[in-house]
Amino acid sequence: MMTSLANYIFVEPWPFWAGGLVIGLLVPLLYNFYNTALGVSTGYGNLAKIIIPGSRSLNWIKSQFTETWSWRVYFIAGIILGGFISARLGGRPLIIPEMGQFTIIAGWPALLNAIYFFVGGMLLGLGARIAGGCTSGHSIHGIANLHMSSIIVTVLFLAGGAAAANIVRVLFMGGGF
Amino acid sequence: MNQKMGIFGFGLLFGFALSRVGASEFDLIFNMFTGTNFKLAWVMLTAILVGYLGMRLLQSKGMITHSGQPVKISHKKLGRFSLLGAVIFGIGWGMAGACPGTVLAQLGEGKIYALFTFSGMIFGTYIYAKLKENTPEL
Repeated sequence: MMTSLANYIFVEPWPFWAGGLVIGLLVPLLYNFYNTALGVSTGYGNLAKIIIPGSRSLNWIKSQFTETWSWRVYFIAGIILGGFISARLGGRPLIIPEMGQFTIIAGWPALLNAIYFFVGGMLLGLGARIAGGCTSGHSIHGIANLHMSSIIVTVLFLAGGAAAANIVRVLFMGGGF
Repeated sequence: MNQKMGIFGFGLLFGFALSRVGASEFDLIFNMFTGTNFKLAWVMLTAILVGYLGMRLLQSKGMITHSGQPVKISHKKLGRFSLLGAVIFGIGWGMAGACPGTVLAQLGEGKIYALFTFSGMIFGTYIYAKLKENTPEL
């Protein structure tokens, strides 16, 4: 009995409700213990500051990022380690060279894949800052607090995502996936 | 330091949950957008519901943190360009099959291309800082 429970938690993929439960609980827990909102994308400003320490352009973030090595950097590090532990316990290979069906079906050279994901990431970083948050800060935290701005932003997140994924599917994946 | 280690622990839990439930799988994110698999939409809806109920519980306790401070809810207001930013973000989300949180779980899982999504995100944040120099209302 215990082995099977541990198996469900640490080895098998979770059902949707288990993931939703843990992720959703982070919203009140972070407020309760640290009086802070669940959110990830703002921390990329801290990472930019760490990588380019002398940049005058990054001074805009001074109000939000007074401390370069703020708790946001630790949150980011924790998420990376969480993914690592999950993959190790799930018995995945240490290095995964594919990105889902995309890299397999599109069949691009590695450099082109790298550029594709870099551009996708660039749009995510730029868009999140202009929109004032990302999936966690707006879509989970904001909507859980019934903020209309977060509901509107999330609808546009999803619309942009659906448009992009369908165009990519037709153009690069033969429309079949 | 206690705060940082505590938040590190919550981050670990977050990354573990994202990875376990498949939120870091390119295919699941992509298929949510192409309408063939809605598992992650259900994850998000459950998370919102649980988050809402948790916040109600916090309200019933007087909106006070465990150390007795009043809870300060972060309310993200819409700016002049917010909606444009949301569409840009969405396009990146659909392309990369990741968002700022899940790409970190992908990194931990050893997905090579997540490195490029991740560096792109830092660069995109830097571009924002550059643009904001000339357009303060951004």
